[in-house]
Amino acid sequence: MRRATILWFLIATCLGVALFLVKHEVQRREEQLAGLHRQILASQEAIHVLEAEWSYLNRPDRIEALVRRHLNLVPMDTRRIGSVEMLPMRLPMPDAAEDGVAPTLAGLPPLPVGRPLVLTREARR
Amino acid sequence: MKTRSETVRLEGHAKQAIETGRNRLILAGCLVALAFAAIGARVIELSALGGAGEPGVASVDPDAQLTVGRADIVDRDGLLLATSLRTPSLYADPKEVLDAEDAAFRLSTVLPEINPAETAAKLASDRRFVWLKRNLTPREQQEVNSLGIPGLHFQDEWKRIYPQGTLTAHAVGFTDVDDRGISGVERSFDDVLRGGRDPLRLSLDLRVQHIVREELLRQIATFSAIGGAGVVLDVDTGETIAMVSLPDFDPNVPGQMDPDTLFNRATLGVYEMGSTFKIFNTAMALDAGTATMRSGYDATHPIRIARFTINDDHAKARWLSVPEIFKYSSNIGSVKMALDVGTDGQRAFMAKLGMLRETAIELPERGRPMVPSPWRPINTMTIAFGHGLAVSPLHLVGGVAAIVNGGIRRPVTLLASDIPSPGQRVISEQTSHDMRRLMRLVVEDGTGRKADTPGYVVGGKTGTAEKAGGRGGYKQKSLISSFVAAFPMHDPRYVVLIMVDEPKGTKETFGYATGGWVAAPAVSRIVARSAPLLGVAPVDPETPEIRRDLMIEVPVEGGKRLASF
Repeated sequence: MRRATILWFLIATCLGVALFLVKHEVQRREEQLAGLHRQILASQEAIHVLEAEWSYLNRPDRIEALVRRHLNLVPMDTRRIGSVEMLPMRLPMPDAAEDGVAPTLAGLPPLPVGRPLVLTREARR
Repeated sequence: MKTRSETVRLEGHAKQAIETGRNRLILAGCLVALAFAAIGARVIELSALGGAGEPGVASVDPDAQLTVGRADIVDRDGLLLATSLRTPSLYADPKEVLDAEDAAFRLSTVLPEINPAETAAKLASDRRFVWLKRNLTPREQQEVNSLGIPGLHFQDEWKRIYPQGTLTAHAVGFTDVDDRGISGVERSFDDVLRGGRDPLRLSLDLRVQHIVREELLRQIATFSAIGGAGVVLDVDTGETIAMVSLPDFDPNVPGQMDPDTLFNRATLGVYEMGSTFKIFNTAMALDAGTATMRSGYDATHPIRIARFTINDDHAKARWLSVPEIFKYSSNIGSVKMALDVGTDGQRAFMAKLGMLRETAIELPERGRPMVPSPWRPINTMTIAFGHGLAVSPLHLVGGVAAIVNGGIRRPVTLLASDIPSPGQRVISEQTSHDMRRLMRLVVEDGTGRKADTPGYVVGGKTGTAEKAGGRGGYKQKSLISSFVAAFPMHDPRYVVLIMVDEPKGTKETFGYATGGWVAAPAVSRIVARSAPLLGVAPVDPETPEIRRDLMIEVPVEGGKRLASF
C-alpha cells in the first residue's frame, strides 16, 4: 500500500516535470518561429527593394550609355549570325571500330602549324 | 463473496442499511463507469478515428508573406515596371514640440524643400497630428533622426515606384496619392493589382520598347515633329511588344505633367492614316474577287466628284495593274478598286477588321474611330486611300497583323498570354499571301525602299496624310507620316508601325516629310536592332524558296508581263 503510493507520487512528479519542460520548449520554439517570420518578412522586404533597384539599374538607356562608355560592343550585325547549315561539311569519319586505329586525316591538306617568327635584321629595321 | 454471504446474516436495520449502501455504491459505480466510457469513447474518437474538427498535425502559421500595398507590374521578361516600396513619412505631434521656430529651421536644413515659416506655423498649431513631408528617402530619414527634435515621428507608407520612368509611361500609367490607378494598366487592372500579390505580367518587351522609343525620338528631333507613336505587335498572338507615344512623362513625379504628354497617341489618338489604308483596300478587293493580281485600272485621269479632285502623288497617268497601284500608292486606282467592291462591301470589311469599334487593348485610353455616318459613296472613295475614317495607330497595326498572318484577326492585348485567342478569319489564306508579296514589293521597289533591312525581308506600306484642319478642309503643311511594316515577309512574325505627327522636311530629305522619308528609315533601324532580340533569324532574301514565295509578276497593259522580284 505504502509502496504503491510512493510509486504513484513519483510518477505524478515526473509527469509534472516533463510537462513543464515540454511547455517551456514549445514556448521557446514559438518565439523562435515568430523571430524567423520577422526575419523572413525583413528579408522579403529587402529583396523587394533590391528588385526595384535592380530594375532601376537595368534601364535600357542606362545600360546603353554604360556600354558606349566602357565596352567596345556594337549592335549585332546580320552577317554575324549563322546557322549550323552554314558550317563546312564534317570530316569523313573512317570506320575506326574495325581496327581500332584513330581516324587519320589522310588526303586532306595539312593543318596550318604555328611557326616561330624569326625577325631578320632587315625586317627589324 | 458467496461463502461470506452465507456465513454473515444480518437482519432488520442492519440489513436495510447495507441494502441502501449497496444501491448507492452501484449508482456511483454506474456514474463513474459512464464517465470513463465517455472519456474512453472520446479518446478512441480522437486517436483512432482522426477526430472530427481536430487537425491531424499540429498547425503552424503559414509562412510569413510580405504584403505590399499593390501588386507589381512586370514586363514579359519579369523586369519591374511598377512596384510599391515602403517609405517613411514624417509627421509631428505639435504638443510634444518644444520650440516650433527652432525645430522648423533645423528641419529645413536637412529637408530643403520645406518652408521654415509654414512649418513653424504647423508645429505651433494646437492639433495633435500634422504631416510635414510624405515619402522620405532613407538618407533624409537618417538626417531627420539625427537632428533629435522631440515630437517628430515617422509613419511607413507605400509609395508607387516606376523604375523605368518614362519608358513605359503610357502603357503602365500611374496612381494618385491614395494608390488608386488613374491611367494606363494601373487603372484598367486597379482591382486586380490592389487585391493581388502575384505580379501582373505585360506583353511589353523593355528592350524593344527602348529601341522603338529611341528611334522615334530621333525621327521627331530630325524632322522637328510635335509627336509620334510607335507600336510593335506579335502577329500570331496579338501581343503588344512595344507601345510608345511621344511626348511622354515621368510617372514618378505626379502633379507636374503637361496634359499634352499624358495623351496616348498610340491608342487614344485617332488619325486619318492615309495610304497605309491601301493595304486594307487592296486586300478587300482581292478577297472579294473584284480585282486580281493580274487585273488593273486606268489611272490616267484624276477623279472629280462633287467639289473634290482625287489625284495621284506619284502620277503615272496610264493604266496601272493592281501591284503597281499598290507600289506607286495610286489614289485613282485605289478608288476604282473600292468602287468595284461597293459601299456595303467596304463597310462590312472594315467592320470585320475591327476598324469601326474601339480596340480590345486593356487600357482606359482607347480612341473611338471616327466613322462616316451616313457612309456615302464619296466616303467609300476617300476611305480607299485612308481619308474619311480616322482610327488609332493600334487599329492599323491590329488590322495589318490580320492581313499578313494568314487572315486571322485576333484582339490586340497588353497582357502576356500563353494561349493565343483562336481569332476569327477575315481574309483568305491566298489573299494574305498576295498581300505579303505586295507589301514586300513596296519595300523592294516602291515608296518604302528606305525600310529595307538586310536579312529580315521587310515589307510594308507608306502613309502620308494631311491633317484635317478647320472648316472641313485639309492642312497641306501638317502631315501624319507613317510606315507600317511586317517582317520577315515570307513568314511574318511582327508588325511595326512608326507614325510621326507633323514632321517638317529637311535638306537631307529634299524638303519631303512623307512616310517613306520620315518613318521608313526608323522602321528599318528598329527591325535591324530588335530582330536579334526577338529571336528572328536573318535569312538571305535571294534564296530560291523566299524568292519564289514573294515573287510578283507585274502585268502591263496589252498582256505582256514584266517580272519583278
